[in-house]
Amino acid sequence: MSHALELRDLSVRYARKGFALDGVNLTIPKGGVVALLGANGAGKTTMIRAISGLLPLHNGQITGGSIAMDGQSILGLPSHKLVRMGMGQVPEGRLVFKQLTVEENLRVGAAVLPKSTEKERMDAVYELFPRLQERRSQAAGWLSGGEQQMLALGRALVTRPRLLLVDELSLGLAPLIVRAIYKQLKLVGETLGASILVVEQNARLALDFATTAYVLERGRITLSGSAQDVANSDLVRESYLGVAKEGGAA
Amino acid sequence: MTATVLRSGALRAAAPSPWRWLWLALAAAVLLYLPILLTERQIFGFRLSNMMLLNIGLSQVNLMLITMLGALSLNYLTGSAGLISIGHAAFYAVGAMTAAITGSQWGWPFPLVLIAAGLGGALAGLLAGLPSLRVRGLYFVLSTFAVHYLVVFAFMEYQFKFFDVVGVPYKNATLGSWTLSTPMRWYFFLLPLVIFIYWLLRNSLRTREGRAMQAMRDHELAATANGIDVRFLRLKAFAFSSAIAAMGGALYAYYLSNVTSEFFGIQFAIQFIAMIIIGGMGSLPGAVVGAAVWLLLPSIITGLTAQAGDTTGLLRSVLVDHKPQLVQAIFGMLVIVLLIFAPWGIAGMATRLKARLTAWWSRS
Repeated sequence: MSHALELRDLSVRYARKGFALDGVNLTIPKGGVVALLGANGAGKTTMIRAISGLLPLHNGQITGGSIAMDGQSILGLPSHKLVRMGMGQVPEGRLVFKQLTVEENLRVGAAVLPKSTEKERMDAVYELFPRLQERRSQAAGWLSGGEQQMLALGRALVTRPRLLLVDELSLGLAPLIVRAIYKQLKLVGETLGASILVVEQNARLALDFATTAYVLERGRITLSGSAQDVANSDLVRESYLGVAKEGGAA
Repeated sequence: MTATVLRSGALRAAAPSPWRWLWLALAAAVLLYLPILLTERQIFGFRLSNMMLLNIGLSQVNLMLITMLGALSLNYLTGSAGLISIGHAAFYAVGAMTAAITGSQWGWPFPLVLIAAGLGGALAGLLAGLPSLRVRGLYFVLSTFAVHYLVVFAFMEYQFKFFDVVGVPYKNATLGSWTLSTPMRWYFFLLPLVIFIYWLLRNSLRTREGRAMQAMRDHELAATANGIDVRFLRLKAFAFSSAIAAMGGALYAYYLSNVTSEFFGIQFAIQFIAMIIIGGMGSLPGAVVGAAVWLLLPSIITGLTAQAGDTTGLLRSVLVDHKPQLVQAIFGMLVIVLLIFAPWGIAGMATRLKARLTAWWSRS
């Protein structure tokens, strides 16, 4: 059986900046929830860009390896095609369309669907995030950060993707709101059977949420395994969870 | 519970109030009476002086309507799709040239010429939009600048090869047996056309593509992450906008009945940008208002200076002898003042004023 997403020996370089990813392997099983951890500049966002076809927009180039979604190579396909193939994308920094209303934002996301299913899918998003329904006719620019993130997520979920990529969901948001959004996201994964990849700076949160985790350091995967194993590893405890080494200086 | 409340709100916005019908009827009455007023120059038997009509004639109003097509199409491109073009005079020239080939040389009927001009403009726009696939922002603006000079050069070559210095002649515009021989007839042909284009543009912004375009304007990356083919959409917007501008160019040529390449100078291109700045970037009513101000204000200023004809000294020298410069200076100042104090333009000022009035109304 093929996996929802499989990266094999993926290498990426940026023009003038050199390698950002160096032979990375990563697998998301069908219905799996995978977290990608790493410090700033480790290559997390680059990996998301490579998967979602956004690299050319950032002058990046895949120099080797393969990417397959459901067993089918998606290397070099542009972003908008991937969305139509069932890959939902929530880019970093929310990027809602501020001058459009909440409803119009969702409609932009739903534009790849046949018109007959549009309303039903949008109602499903409203059910998931009732706050969006309350504010459906407001311009998205007037929403709070948390609501904007809900909208960005809803905009990707409206197409019912088989694979969902979420980049830095917690950026600039209050921890309580982030937890609430993750809870809804988990619900989506369970009810729709969607596979999810989250890139997250907040390691504790991501490890609670995911079943599998990968640690990326300077363009290489240095650790991978079940979320629990990764959380208990020395590397992650020290560097990401801020737990001092036992017996270390207090 | 909230859902029902919201739904009733949406319904209220959709159902037009009786006031709106009244306003529409009033506007229609004014628009229908205006050409008669401007031709007969009297109202209910009362004779109006030239200044009471602000020195405006029906010909200026017609030119304004034609220019509105350019302003509306540029506004669509810049305000809604986020692309800036200094090439809109070029698309006018493409329209005028297509009209000359199909109308003056091949003798096609006027409605067909208009359609051909639209298609020619779309094709030219498609070619001119190609650089947008590679370059962004200022670089793209420069590429439209280059398009402008290429097209004007082509028009000049065409003019001197088939015609002469006097310019390219156009036949009378006829719709069947109805010849657009008077300003009045032109007015009643142009007005529905402009209203139709306005309606078309306004509705197109509410379709999937229209929303996708606004999404692309706000965040290109997020738009593509939502399945929008940004490059294709950009070309499409450019072609659509140029088609409308080219139709404006064909109408312009037919209306003036004789056009030379000098008409389509860089100033002609920049005037469209000035119009949408004055009116309000991204607002369709703004484009209409901007075109109106741009085309009518010069006559008003000219009329005023004629009043001041008997003054002497410096004032006279400024008002009478340097009239064109005065008009230019006033426009320059208008654009600068608006950019500093009201970048949202006249349309934006109107919305703000309305919001303030509503707030004041509900408080008292």
